[in-house]
Amino acid sequence: MDTLHYLFNGFGVALTATNLGVAALGALIGTIVGMLPGLGPINGVAILMPLAFALKLPPETALILLAAVYMGCEFGGRISSILLNVPGDAGAIMTAMDGYPMARQGLAGVALSISAWSSFIGSLVATTGIVLFAPLLARWALAFGPAEYFALMCFAFACITGLMGDAPMKAALAAVMGLSLSTVGLDSNSGVYRFTGGDVHLSDGIQFIVVVIGVFSISEILLMLEQHHSSDGIIKLTGRALFNLKEVAHTWWCTLRSAVVGFVVGVLPGAGATIASAMTYAMEKRIAGESGKFGEGDIRGVAAPEAANNASAAGSFVPMLTLGVPGSGTTAVMVGALSLYNITPGPALFQQNPNLVWGLIASMFVANVLLLFINIPMVGVFTRLLRTPNWLLVPGILAVSAVGVYSVHATTFDLMLMSAFGVIGFLLRKQGVPMAPLILGFVLGDMMEQNLRRALSITNGDPGILVESNISIGLWVAAIVMVTVPPLLRWRARRRARLAPAAG
Amino acid sequence: MSDRILGAACVAVGAAMAWAAKDYAAPISYEPVGPRAFPLLLAGLMVAGGAWLVVKPTMNGHWMREAPLKALAFAVVAVFVYALLFEWLGFTLATTVMAVPVGMAFGGSLPKSLAGGVGLGLVLYLLFDKALDVVLPTGLLSFLFGGR
Repeated sequence: MDTLHYLFNGFGVALTATNLGVAALGALIGTIVGMLPGLGPINGVAILMPLAFALKLPPETALILLAAVYMGCEFGGRISSILLNVPGDAGAIMTAMDGYPMARQGLAGVALSISAWSSFIGSLVATTGIVLFAPLLARWALAFGPAEYFALMCFAFACITGLMGDAPMKAALAAVMGLSLSTVGLDSNSGVYRFTGGDVHLSDGIQFIVVVIGVFSISEILLMLEQHHSSDGIIKLTGRALFNLKEVAHTWWCTLRSAVVGFVVGVLPGAGATIASAMTYAMEKRIAGESGKFGEGDIRGVAAPEAANNASAAGSFVPMLTLGVPGSGTTAVMVGALSLYNITPGPALFQQNPNLVWGLIASMFVANVLLLFINIPMVGVFTRLLRTPNWLLVPGILAVSAVGVYSVHATTFDLMLMSAFGVIGFLLRKQGVPMAPLILGFVLGDMMEQNLRRALSITNGDPGILVESNISIGLWVAAIVMVTVPPLLRWRARRRARLAPAAG
Repeated sequence: MSDRILGAACVAVGAAMAWAAKDYAAPISYEPVGPRAFPLLLAGLMVAGGAWLVVKPTMNGHWMREAPLKALAFAVVAVFVYALLFEWLGFTLATTVMAVPVGMAFGGSLPKSLAGGVGLGLVLYLLFDKALDVVLPTGLLSFLFGGR
């Protein structure tokens, strides 16, 4: 019953005028950022994070803003998927498969409204999941010592490299790059300056914002130069604007199933909205069997991935809040945001700062309701924004990014470093190196090193402590499974695909 | 080919890290693991991962071939120049100067991009500096806007 009591207090925080307003603003900005092709939740959160700090918002308000933006992005991505056949963010790729055909059949309004509805259900299920499971996990995690934390972070990296798909080695390298960047600056234990090259600007390390805005925002602009989407192909909204009860009933179980799967996938560190929506799309296609018209405008093909990507976004808050180990690139950025306030997320946060944790969770419920209202009646307004030409949009993104970086330390050095990270990030992304592990590494680097050193201090240097407790052993085994099983499965699938034509 | 370049770059960076980190030692040490171990571990992983890519590249050849190099060069230079001029010219002017080449790289005409840049510079300055209290440099226009 404690949980209900805390949640009730959380609503007290969430429903103050400031936080309510911030949630509404975040939901609106998030929907727009999610909708614009090329800009996803990480960009949105990364650009707004320094601004929230510069505006001197209190930590819970800043976190509510960022969470609302994140959730809004998962809602907004579907709009351009359905109307343009271009996903607004990575999680909305599957929505285009059936959403765009529906729109071409004159059912754009139905596709948009049912996907908003299933997004809402997905978030609702997952936020309820947070309420149920996060306190349990946090209580369990209180028993973690430095050795367990070190193993946990290795597990997180194993997940993000194992599940990243086609290039696990590149994902691992990205993580190592992020970890290396985090070692730049003064080592607080010994007073040694590392990798600074004698430059004072680097003596307290590389600013988190500089890295994030560089590798996501600036490099994204350079990547956008290669993909010219014209907004001429936008399908006009005609016909029925709202789904009917029959359609809700038809998609109900599929939405609910996808929401649960999405939540579970979201909780796993590393596996995000993209994997969740692809998984549930395939699952629903199989369940529907012959009766489905997936790929030609099946309404379930819109509902399932949307429920899943929203659920996984909310689910990725669980490891971030309870363990301090973010489950997605976007929540990694939020951990960085909290570090600006000298707050380290983790199990202790539930006791030390319940207002922050429960205020955030309650706000997620509030933002979800706001998003449903923003996204169904106001969808016409957003489609008009989709026509913003790139020659205005891109300089705008660049200017706001620079404002964000400048607002923290007000130095030209940071801006130059941001530009350099932008070019490096662009080159790496062109080469198929994912950036999410890099950010995760950068965020976790200091914590990982500190926990390793602390663990080894306990035993005076004997590494045996790292595999002493059952929890650590379990985490190490899970980590090994995560890096070995997915490549094995892929290898088997590829072999079967090669053998199949020969056999048939 | 290009995965090999990436791998080789990682090996080089890892080696440089190891070389820089080899002398990191605490003057007085209280703990068994000093400031050197973790960077050296990472340097080792970086070299190993890079070497793996050199030996087993997964991506070949087509890198950057279809990239619009001229527009890219334009945009990259514009980003760096923007960063350099941000404080000196001030936000509004620097944004205008940046928006012209970037806007044109994204298909805008000269007058459109210029107008867009002036508009962005003014609107965002008023929004952030005046309305939201995020202090921005005024640079050469400080006689107009006041401040730094």
